[in-house]
Amino acid sequence: MDILYIAVNILVFLALAPFFEGVVRRITARVVQSRQGPPLIQPYLDILKLLGKQNLGPGNFAFKLAPLVAFASILSVIVFVPLGYKANYLTRYADVITIIYLLTLGGVAVLLGALSSRNSYALIGSSREMITMIMVEPVLAMTLILGAVKIKSLGIVPSISNVIGGGYGASVIIMLVVYLLALMAFVGRQPFDIAEAEVEILEGPFIEFSGPNLALFKYYMLLKQMFYATLFVIVFIPPITTGFYGVDVLIQLAFVFLVYVLIAVIGSTHPRLRIDQAQKFYALLVVASLVAVGLSVYGI
Amino acid sequence: MLTIEEVKSQLKNKYQSAIKNTEETYGTRLFVDIDKSKVRDISNEIIKMGGRYLVSVGYDNIAREKSLGLIHNFSLDRDNIFVSIRTAAPVDSPVFDSITPDIPNAGWSEREYMDLLGMKFTDHPKPKKLILADDWPEGVYPLRKDVPYNLMPPAAENVAYQLDEAPEGCTTIPVGPFHPTLHEPAHFAVFVDGETIKGCDYRGFMVHRGLEKLCQTQLTYGEVPYIAERICGICGSVHAASYSQALEMAAGHKISRRAEYIRTIMLEIERVHSHLLWLGIAGHLIGFDTVFMQAWRVRESIMWFGEKLTGNRKTYGMIIPGGVHRDISPELADELLGILKTIEKELVTIHKAIVGDGSIHRRTKGVGHITTEETKLWSLVGPVARARNVDIDVRRDHPYAAYDEMQFDVPVVDSNDVWGTVVVRILETFEAIKIIRQAIEKMPAGPIMTEFPQDVTPFKHAITAVEAPRGEVVHYLITGEENRPERWRVRAPTYPNLQGIPAMLLNDQFADLPIIIGSIDPCFSCTDRVVKVDVRSGAVSHLSAGDLEKISRAKKTAGR
Repeated sequence: MDILYIAVNILVFLALAPFFEGVVRRITARVVQSRQGPPLIQPYLDILKLLGKQNLGPGNFAFKLAPLVAFASILSVIVFVPLGYKANYLTRYADVITIIYLLTLGGVAVLLGALSSRNSYALIGSSREMITMIMVEPVLAMTLILGAVKIKSLGIVPSISNVIGGGYGASVIIMLVVYLLALMAFVGRQPFDIAEAEVEILEGPFIEFSGPNLALFKYYMLLKQMFYATLFVIVFIPPITTGFYGVDVLIQLAFVFLVYVLIAVIGSTHPRLRIDQAQKFYALLVVASLVAVGLSVYGI
Repeated sequence: MLTIEEVKSQLKNKYQSAIKNTEETYGTRLFVDIDKSKVRDISNEIIKMGGRYLVSVGYDNIAREKSLGLIHNFSLDRDNIFVSIRTAAPVDSPVFDSITPDIPNAGWSEREYMDLLGMKFTDHPKPKKLILADDWPEGVYPLRKDVPYNLMPPAAENVAYQLDEAPEGCTTIPVGPFHPTLHEPAHFAVFVDGETIKGCDYRGFMVHRGLEKLCQTQLTYGEVPYIAERICGICGSVHAASYSQALEMAAGHKISRRAEYIRTIMLEIERVHSHLLWLGIAGHLIGFDTVFMQAWRVRESIMWFGEKLTGNRKTYGMIIPGGVHRDISPELADELLGILKTIEKELVTIHKAIVGDGSIHRRTKGVGHITTEETKLWSLVGPVARARNVDIDVRRDHPYAAYDEMQFDVPVVDSNDVWGTVVVRILETFEAIKIIRQAIEKMPAGPIMTEFPQDVTPFKHAITAVEAPRGEVVHYLITGEENRPERWRVRAPTYPNLQGIPAMLLNDQFADLPIIIGSIDPCFSCTDRVVKVDVRSGAVSHLSAGDLEKISRAKKTAGR
């Protein structure tokens, strides 16, 4: 049974990540921008279309490897998500450090791809991506550590489900706000889509990728986005459990949907920041998240 | 305030020996023929009087005087005077003193005539190729009369433009020829240190197709305005208006007052849609697509009105020498007032939202900063200059059409950055709406067209300027013998403004490059003087040609 949960995790994420992206696009268009917007299934079509195109590249090994590594690493992360608040067969073999490692591996793969493409826009994009990674990952780490501190365990399920253990204290509130503020940077959307910035550096790290390679990267981004949205729901919203696994998952996904609505609204009402402006902002977030962990040590 | 007499006597007192002849037309245009040795001194003298450099005109005068003519044009904005200093050099040694060291904005004009006429300029700081293709043969000067308009020299290989050297420790990032920031082909080599811009070199004119040559050799006076209008896909009317005024001025022809009012209305309609278009693009450039979508939605109604009035969303074809093509009926005027009311209301909302949005401030304030002195030094024009506390506006300073009777403010701000251009453009849109309302109210009855005289005296000079949404356009016309211009020089506002871009980019972040270049509302093709096609507007998907035809027919019957 434990092993089945792994399959459910992967299937739900693979199936719904593009759909949620479609929702974001539709909300952006209909609600904010007075447009019709694309059909909800457009992201699936985009990926399908890319899969049918030719792979072009400079022909080095790292360039071919990068999308695969990125996609594989995000899939591995997803496996550990306690969807429906159920631990699965694999969670016991890993801890929160594993999750952080695997997420970073995905980011490193993007950098690897960008650097191996030797495009000057990709170089700018990867340097921005690197700054974002270095400065925003701590927020994620601190969120998980907050739970770990409380339960004194680095296990995935204990630490994730214990962030709000003991109620919404000051530390949890601070962390919740910080996470929300960092969310747009996690998922690479306005105002923090700096690494891709279409009008300046033409999708930055991904500029040289095409066809299935690009499809993998796109899917990677979509999955990453859904992972961060789901993590928010699991970590910060008290579990509503009915006893039926399927229903629990659906309730969770309903909350994820709401997070996506938030992503759409924030994304469409902000211009892109510059990397130097974003850096200052990230620094504030890191400090605030450290404060939250510090407070939690004293049980506040 | 200087009068034209004072300008003349001041110049004559100081440079008696160099001034050969003077000529005045319309009480506002002063042409001074001078000896070429004093070009630089007299130019500086006019700048000292408060003159602002506009553009230089080079022309082929080989057939009559075996010389190449050069005209530097200046505007005395406070005094409503244009001063043109005309000089010439023999064709076998066409060497002039460069005025660029003192007036940097003349750099392009002079480089243009190095390319096109084979002139030489001593002390020019950057005598590089500007317009001609990399593989254009040496010694063929396309603007000379002996070169046919359709000459196609064979393509050469292994020739490339040598970009400037990057400063020490900087990397070069190519922006263009195809880049989402630019929308049109142009190439900026941007030298960056990390993400900070330390300089840039520009190679443009990639779509230069020689419209001036075409109009000087193939078309007639009556046909030129349609080409002129197609110089720009956004603000075409300004070119048609400017050309028509220059021709009317040279021919001494006066058009009816009603036609002048209709011209005013057309020019202001164009300003409204152009500024809204820019606002949208500016939003897109800083990654704020909601502003883009909303501004263009608001803009759409005026496009529909343009189509209803003239048959076209853009490129109205309204303004021709002698008057305008179509009249504005009272019903149409009422409809226009209604549309303007909606636009005004929605723009107030957008204005408030933009002013209240802190993140827009962060992306635009202090960005592209140059001082007022630099702005004047570089002779920048339009909203770019007015956002930097340079109070110039041709509509007020050198009134044309019916602007002398219009009450309007010229918004000027002193933030000296991109934010200023946003504010100026939004306020100008409100002013444009105000002007259209007044024009509709005051418009006198009368004919819209006064028959244009068949023969225009040759070799008359005329200069006109029209305030386009992007700044002033300047047209210089020398009438010719074969019912077509002998020389017609167009200066679009992007021409001077693009030259100021390196100063604006200096020490800014690379991420600000799109909005800085965007803030001048660049129209590269206007600068290159060719047809620009706006592919974004009007495209309807999933329709066959038959469907489209049906829709247009239905629209016609529905009266939209």
